[in-house]
Amino acid sequence: MPDLLESPDAGRRDRTLAITADRIALEERQASAKPEAAESTPVLLFQHVSKWYGPVIGINQVTLELRPGITGLVGHNGSGKSTLLRLAAGQFRPDLGAVTIAGHDAWTADAKRHLGYCPELDTFYEEMSGRAFVRTMAQLVGYARVEARRRTEETLELVGMRDRADRVLAGYSKGMRQRIKLAQALLHDPPLLLLDEPLSGIDPIGRRESIALFRELARRGKCLLISSHELEELEKLTDHVAIMAAGRIAAVGTLTQIRDLLDDHPLSIRIASDQNRQLAGLLLDLDEVVGVERDDHYLLVRAKNPRRFFQRLGDLVLDRMIEIRHLETLDESTHDVLGYLLGGKAR
Amino acid sequence: MPTLLHYRSWQGEFHSPWWSVWPIARVALGTLLRRKLFWTLYAFGLLLFFMFFFGTFLLAWAESLVSGTQPQLARFGDLGRVLTTNIRRALVILEGSRDTFQYFFAYQGGIVIVTLSLVGAILVGNDFTHKSLGFYLAKPINRWHYILGKCLAVFIVVQMMTTLPALVLYGQHAFDDWDYLLNVDHFTANDGKGPAGIALLLAVVGYGTLLSVVLSILLVAAASWMRRTMPLIMVWISAFFYLRLLANILVDGLKYDVRWRLLDLWNSLTLLGQGCLGYAAEEISPKPHPEFWEAGLMLIGVCTVCLIYLNHRTRGVEIVR
Repeated sequence: MPDLLESPDAGRRDRTLAITADRIALEERQASAKPEAAESTPVLLFQHVSKWYGPVIGINQVTLELRPGITGLVGHNGSGKSTLLRLAAGQFRPDLGAVTIAGHDAWTADAKRHLGYCPELDTFYEEMSGRAFVRTMAQLVGYARVEARRRTEETLELVGMRDRADRVLAGYSKGMRQRIKLAQALLHDPPLLLLDEPLSGIDPIGRRESIALFRELARRGKCLLISSHELEELEKLTDHVAIMAAGRIAAVGTLTQIRDLLDDHPLSIRIASDQNRQLAGLLLDLDEVVGVERDDHYLLVRAKNPRRFFQRLGDLVLDRMIEIRHLETLDESTHDVLGYLLGGKAR
Repeated sequence: MPTLLHYRSWQGEFHSPWWSVWPIARVALGTLLRRKLFWTLYAFGLLLFFMFFFGTFLLAWAESLVSGTQPQLARFGDLGRVLTTNIRRALVILEGSRDTFQYFFAYQGGIVIVTLSLVGAILVGNDFTHKSLGFYLAKPINRWHYILGKCLAVFIVVQMMTTLPALVLYGQHAFDDWDYLLNVDHFTANDGKGPAGIALLLAVVGYGTLLSVVLSILLVAAASWMRRTMPLIMVWISAFFYLRLLANILVDGLKYDVRWRLLDLWNSLTLLGQGCLGYAAEEISPKPHPEFWEAGLMLIGVCTVCLIYLNHRTRGVEIVR
């Protein structure tokens, strides 16, 4: 699938432009902002990056460019997601290629000022209170004591932990730990957020709140790279994903765009109309349609090139005055796309 | 989750990353100081300190008691004389000369070694076990700030157990007799007791700093290698007990070259420490022993290897399990 290995795409650019416009509006309100720099420099850039663990390759020739917005990072276990995140977080250097954050080498302190990293691990200083932990992290960012305290309180408020932050970490639930981790990542209001399984272990209400927060952050021009196994939740956040397989970026783009490129796996569409039988005959004449099955109520259509198929379906029903009562794509979810792209089950 | 707050844009200057060294050390110390184990070991250390602190008064009282009861002790033969001699010998050691501090550092050092082996996992190892290092290294600091922060934490622990009580001992003698503080030649009349005054104060600080620096680098390296307590104890015992034993066998037993004693890191440390206190080479036990510069070179070499290892270890922390 050589096409899938090419990451940039037009739809993404459109969406990026829309988000960038929001960001510019935001930055115009902030005297310290530099819109030109934000426009020209990608927030996160991987250029032909490879990383080996001894004889084992972690990621292989990865090129990836992220601008403001939410991107889901998905792939099987061992596909290189964590390596990619850690390289982006400056935890280690690539063996080949370069990783830059806002134009700075990801390994440097300058880059880390633009970065908030929320790792997957959640066992840290169990005897510390959440507040003390976040405040320490604020001091590591370089804030003076007073400013560190102020930011700590703000971010604790933001993640809904202000009232519970004096409890020691050992007494925290998984969800509370996630919030504290998120707080320390948000402390310095970074333009890039790397979140490794941020929804794992959070209760449904907390999950909804987190998703709302991530969306709001994206709306404000932040770039969020979210690695998650919770594909359904990820779909609620974004349809823009980077799919990793065997240490490589297998595809980057919106799910629809990636799905369109999967010619080997025709899209399954369930259709109900007032003239099922006639419609089935008409659909079979379309080049894009691979097959049609019919039961008492529905047609199950399998079609290549979904975008063109839907255009022609629209023309068809308008010409023939067919009333469409139900239209549903059955395998366009992240889960399905991953399954097709990577083989086997996506999870 | 509440509505996203509006960050007030930061107008100030960020502190240099070197400022992060102290929060890292403070977190490590905070974790340690919450442990009863540490305070138990510290209490043992304090017992030794109190022995030195109150020993002068105790022995002076004992001496007067023995002198006052000489007629009664006479029926036990030489016992009274032996007691008096020994008490006076101990009093000489406790009078605040370099001997006092040499003995104090030697004994206290033993407790420090035991303490560090037991608390190393808490101070350093847990960061590697729990992978907390990821949080640190995602902030605008580099691994040397982290390493320095951890070394600072160990440095403070060692200082708390050695230099700090040694300075209190020094202060005790200075308050007792101001000439001790002001006159470097306070002990000149008594042969072989070395300097007093500021020179001795600096020597004490130097000895304590030497111990703290070397032990902090060794412990951070050892604890990042052997992250759990038991393996760390075994490494620590090997470094400070078995190697000492081996060095003694090689040099004293098999009469190998004296440089084999450099295997004994603790000997190299105390050798240099005694050098700080102004001892001449021929006054130092065990004999024979390597030159000061050889011991110094050995310690610098070991510390350099440890730092190279730490550089590698903190780079690969997320990989090596």
